[in-house]
Amino acid sequence: MDELTREFLIESQEGLDRMERCLTELEERPRDGELLADIFRSVHTIKGTTGFLGYSRLESLSHAGENLLGMLRDGRLIADAEIIGALLALLDGLRAILASIEADGSEGDGDDRAMIERLMDLQNGDAQVHAMKPVQDAQGQTVRRRKRKPAASGKRAAKHSTALVVSGGAAAMISSKDAQIGGEIAFPVSRSAVDKLDRLETLPGNDEGAAKALATAADSTLRVDVNLLNRMMNLVGELVLTRNQILQATSADAGFTMLSRRLDMVTADLREAVMKARMQPVSHVFSKFPRLVRDLSQQLGKRVRLEMEGQETELDKSLLEAIKDPLTHSVRNSIDHGIEDPAAREAAHKPAEGLLKLRAYQDGSHVVVEVVDDGGGIRVEKVRDKAIERKLISAEKAAQQSERELLQLIFLPGFSTAAAVTNVSGRGVGMDVVRNNVEKIGGKVEIESRAGKGTTLRLRIPLTLAIIPALIVRSRSQSFALPQGVLHELVHLSAEQAKEQVEWLENAPLYRLRGRLLPLVFLGSMLEQKEAAAEGGGCYIAVLNADGRRFGLVIDGLADPEEIVVKPLSPVLKRIGLFSGATVMGNGEMALILDPSALAVRASIGISSEEEEMQTVGDTVKLDKVESEFLLVETGSAQAALPLSDVLRIERISRTSIERIGQRPVLRFAGTVLPLEDPSGILDQPYEEGAEMTVVVCRDGGRHVGVAVSHVLDVAAGAPLTEAGTEVVSPGITLLKERVTSVVDLSRVPPLPAAEPELAMEMAV
Amino acid sequence: MKATLEARSKPVSEGGVEMCSVRAGETAFGVPIMRILEILGAQATQPVPLAPSFIGGLVHYRGEVLTAVSLRRLLDLEPHQGASDVLVFEGPSGYFGLMVDAVGEVITVLPEAFEANPSTLDDRRKALFAGACKLPNGLMVMLDPDRLDPMRLSH
Repeated sequence: MDELTREFLIESQEGLDRMERCLTELEERPRDGELLADIFRSVHTIKGTTGFLGYSRLESLSHAGENLLGMLRDGRLIADAEIIGALLALLDGLRAILASIEADGSEGDGDDRAMIERLMDLQNGDAQVHAMKPVQDAQGQTVRRRKRKPAASGKRAAKHSTALVVSGGAAAMISSKDAQIGGEIAFPVSRSAVDKLDRLETLPGNDEGAAKALATAADSTLRVDVNLLNRMMNLVGELVLTRNQILQATSADAGFTMLSRRLDMVTADLREAVMKARMQPVSHVFSKFPRLVRDLSQQLGKRVRLEMEGQETELDKSLLEAIKDPLTHSVRNSIDHGIEDPAAREAAHKPAEGLLKLRAYQDGSHVVVEVVDDGGGIRVEKVRDKAIERKLISAEKAAQQSERELLQLIFLPGFSTAAAVTNVSGRGVGMDVVRNNVEKIGGKVEIESRAGKGTTLRLRIPLTLAIIPALIVRSRSQSFALPQGVLHELVHLSAEQAKEQVEWLENAPLYRLRGRLLPLVFLGSMLEQKEAAAEGGGCYIAVLNADGRRFGLVIDGLADPEEIVVKPLSPVLKRIGLFSGATVMGNGEMALILDPSALAVRASIGISSEEEEMQTVGDTVKLDKVESEFLLVETGSAQAALPLSDVLRIERISRTSIERIGQRPVLRFAGTVLPLEDPSGILDQPYEEGAEMTVVVCRDGGRHVGVAVSHVLDVAAGAPLTEAGTEVVSPGITLLKERVTSVVDLSRVPPLPAAEPELAMEMAV
Repeated sequence: MKATLEARSKPVSEGGVEMCSVRAGETAFGVPIMRILEILGAQATQPVPLAPSFIGGLVHYRGEVLTAVSLRRLLDLEPHQGASDVLVFEGPSGYFGLMVDAVGEVITVLPEAFEANPSTLDDRRKALFAGACKLPNGLMVMLDPDRLDPMRLSH
């Protein structure tokens, strides 16, 4: 295919996408001149270019459309449901031809006469009568009749056309990849469309301002080859690696440290900029759904209102592409299986109109896309029976599983609960495909459902594929990278503590974490590392939560957290199943990236029980109330709190290793100096030979700070307190375990003394 | 230390093939120099737990993490003391490395010097070796990188 044709295809497809968005909006605001002008432009551009390139089918089709649109634009016609239906059909027709051109360079040999005739018909007075009636006044009850056709044939035509429209819609979803749809052109939407239009009237966030913003954003963007962006992203990844290495190599030399800090900043900024260049708002995918929901609900005789939230949330382009199909599938599922028909809804005392909500928001290093419906929900018993019937699980095993675990069964291949197999969904391939596709890009799928209340499907997508924050852990003499996302907390055990506190139930090691038993997995033995663990060395328990599987991973040591660039493993090593990739660390060494869910599955860690789920639900509720978690410590005689999100690790050190710069206590640590905060003067007290103390290493902006404490007590959620008489939340205190506790202010710790210029001068003399 | 061999641009002298001689244990091996993308000298390798026995570990090569096959492990030899040299090849499933004790000189061998594997060789070695090469000072085992691809070895 030559460059010109390719350009034309891309441009036309973009134009048609925009047209589709505008058309669904036009249903709400049939008189919006700007929308009409936009639609006119899309079709006009196609017409102009096709004549030049010699695509006659495209030209005659778009010409007919253009005439109709011209009348609409000039106000000689008002867009009613019939016209919009015809324009949507035109859109599908144009798309199908474009797909055919992309596949084999020809326009295919479909017959467009019916479509053209229809578009012409709508331009004359007969349609005008309809157009004069405002769309809004029909309350979804009256069936409009047209004099020209007998009712019976009209009905048949309607039935026929609905099926075709839906297949056209499906074709649109898979864009132009499908070559087979070349000759298949969608026919006008059934007349019953008129009745159902009103429901689509108010889509939040689709006001005129938003429409305008969309149009201008499209004008100010530049098309960049994704391959070029990929290459840039790889280079940036390399730069991050080199930066990490330089940071480590230069920590000794002060002047160089300054330079490498700057390199650090530039790298981080560059990385962000390149990532931004790859980002697109999820509205690119969401914009497909008003149409899909409209067509589907009509076909199934359901009433569905679509709400979309967070359309501006941005996601990496390739990830956006990857979630398109799973998301489409989930929406279809919700309408087909989730939302009941109006009669059933009314019987259940719910509004006849179902609500489907698409919501996107950023949550840390993930973007969450939710498909929420207020339909019938999933009956766990039904899922269980079905799974047993299909031999996906044994009856005995099913009896032992919690509701949450049973709900996960719908993700198994070959599972479908639809009573009747419809042509919308329910062919037995479904949720497993959704899950596979999402997991392929490192995401997760969660499902929550309450019978009679509705279902929430949550796709959790990483912001980017290439770079993730990880904690470097050591097992025997080898380093591994543990993705930070699954890490909840770290517990250090000295050799004696490990001996005493790791308990065994038969051959299952357990640890009592704040009174609850935590199953342990020893990384060394899991990986069959032959070396023996260092004598007398303690160990760490990394408390992980991987896909609802909570366990403690026992490791020998920790290194600093690092941003790692994920490198794929060769197929031979992927087959081991416990590593999701490899990375090159700052010190030049390589580390395998652990896959926590795979570790959990291999160790047969079960999904946490209902009770724990309740607790996590509780946690999210707390988050809404701006509570945050704190590490409760004892300093001298008082208790103090440290924000848990800032706590990096807890170190047991010998008292003698504390050094002082002037009055400032510092700790030398793996070639770096850690300023120490001593809130209650523990360090000034006399101590015995060989005494040990605890230092909590915290993050404060870009630096690390140590806090000297006597004991680490607990982790607890703290409630914010406002000063009496004001609305101001006091940052220095929090309500922790029903006690007002002061929060250690890390920013108060003064920076390490800079080299004083006079001093340096003296030394030079 | 990295030594890029301008291998592909070198002309092959009349009828002969340029072979890079490498050593693993007592045996000398020859690898066609045209196939070598790069030789990584005294490379630190990272072992991979639970990997098939012939995998020597991971090596860092131009920003990528390569899987390296250990020639010693393939031949059931004791592990090598000290760092290994790694040859980088491109196979059907991507780049991969071959860990050898040391890389020696480049030898031009004539077609007459080639001979097929002797029938007395054990089956495993027959599958790995591409034949023998008669040199004035002894025999050199010919290696064909295609047979050493980790994907192929794992089957």
